[in-house]
Amino acid sequence: MASSVLDPCITDELPDFSSEAYKLAYSRINAIVIEGEQEAHDNYISLGGLIPGQVEELAQLARMEMKHMKGFQACGKNLGVVPDMQFAKIFFAPLHDNFKQALSENKVVTCLVIQALMIEAFAIAAYHIYIPVADPFARKITEGVVKDEYTHLNYGQEWLKANFEASRDEIMQANRHNLPIIRQMLEQVADDAAELHMEKESLIEDFLIAYQEALMEIGFGPRDLARMSAAALVS
Amino acid sequence: MFGLIGHSSSFLDARLKARDLGFDDLADGELDIWCSAPPQLLENFEVTSNTGKTIQGTYIDSCFVPEMLGRFKTATRKVQNAMELAQKRGINITALGGFTSIIFENFNLAKFQQIRSTLLQWERFTTGNTHTAWVICRQVEQNAPALGINLAKARVAVVGATGDIGSAVCRWLTRRSGVGELLLVARQQQRLNDLRKELGGGRVLSLEEALPEADVVVWVASLPQTLQIDSASLRNPCLMIDGGYPKNLDSKIASPNINILKGGIVEFARDIGWQVMEIAEMANPRRQLFACFAEAMLLEFEDWHTNFSWGRNNITLEAMEQIGAASIRHGFSALGLDAISPAPAAIAA
Repeated sequence: MASSVLDPCITDELPDFSSEAYKLAYSRINAIVIEGEQEAHDNYISLGGLIPGQVEELAQLARMEMKHMKGFQACGKNLGVVPDMQFAKIFFAPLHDNFKQALSENKVVTCLVIQALMIEAFAIAAYHIYIPVADPFARKITEGVVKDEYTHLNYGQEWLKANFEASRDEIMQANRHNLPIIRQMLEQVADDAAELHMEKESLIEDFLIAYQEALMEIGFGPRDLARMSAAALVS
Repeated sequence: MFGLIGHSSSFLDARLKARDLGFDDLADGELDIWCSAPPQLLENFEVTSNTGKTIQGTYIDSCFVPEMLGRFKTATRKVQNAMELAQKRGINITALGGFTSIIFENFNLAKFQQIRSTLLQWERFTTGNTHTAWVICRQVEQNAPALGINLAKARVAVVGATGDIGSAVCRWLTRRSGVGELLLVARQQQRLNDLRKELGGGRVLSLEEALPEADVVVWVASLPQTLQIDSASLRNPCLMIDGGYPKNLDSKIASPNINILKGGIVEFARDIGWQVMEIAEMANPRRQLFACFAEAMLLEFEDWHTNFSWGRNNITLEAMEQIGAASIRHGFSALGLDAISPAPAAIAA
């Protein structure tokens, strides 16, 4: 056995939640989460205009996002951190602009890829990685949220699956345009996330696992998945 | 359905494979990019047994490469994520190939059953070590006599004797093959003493002491990079079974008198419509495969949906007999020496 190079040496230690460095990083990460939930709310309401038959279901998803947002605002307050909302707005701007553009062109597929697949997969990955290193208050809130986010991912997944053949090309195009942006967003918060003991490497991998799983459910084959997700790895 | 979790033998190989599959971005990517790559379901295929039963299989590449061994968290994630993918795809029984089972065991990943929203069900996974151990023993029994080695009088060294496969091999060679004498080589003295007591015999030696005495050497440990073997000091004939991972013994020894056989490899009775074993550099990739992978196939053929090989030092002789009988029934045979080296006169003729 090659056990000489296989000796476990790292254990997950909780960060010092009261340190200034932690709070500073948290002011940005917490803001991103709050802004993300707010935008998700707005996006699901907007999508109701493109998918008229499902206005009520989308409104239901939107309501959940508002609840999440309030939960995360409480997490910031609990640590005595003021979220840097200006940073968060700039952080989301490129992706948000692409969503608005697609919305104005009635591109429901692109809108769903951005919001219901990419952002939800991003959230699921980040929340899963955050939970083991979160403070007890935030941990409880986040555990509740992550279950809901699977429902949201599932919504987009089911819609795109039902319309797979007609959506296929647009999904691939939306993937090409937006996945590099997701990657850049991850890069931008990597240092702050590291301060919270969340590693960039596992954030990307977990995001791709959730995202690929959704794409597979929608109808893409394994080879498509690897090619499509490479856009997030190499950019 | 059965599953196989494998990985490339090196980062370079992984990049070449990605290029072959048309994943140019990955092929050009540095190691850091591979560290973030999720497991990939590479292919689905069918296997038909000698009994006529056909089963479906899936090959999952964990995107692990041995260069990640120094990164505990990365290596751990690769194994866990590949296992989660297998379970989520509804695969009944999946073999942990290559370093996968070694990482699982050495990092004690049994402690981490919850992967995100998935609770891993251990009964869906097997290390495949029981079949590997049985195949290695069979390779000893079938090939040593062909080289003129009388096993009843032979000294057989087992390097890595206290490991999961090594200890099973020792048990079998003592109680079933009836070899002349076992030479036990491993790093941990206490485990060696315990094993010797359990076997009721065998001599504990260092590698340097054991090699010149051995008629057969079974390697079931990964070889240290720095290992140097003086071919001249070895017995002639000498059969070496390279059962460790990776299989690189032939790079350590260059001598026509030493017969090196890739250990723990089986050959199937007919071609399998897959590409994965080309990656593993098998001589006949359509038919040859790791015995641990074949164990997952056997468990699926037999509907034994259980973690047949699991944990450390749990392999019994009865389990080896059981998997061995299934192996033969479904059309696997242990890889043998290509041809026993002919005498120079025969070449001249």
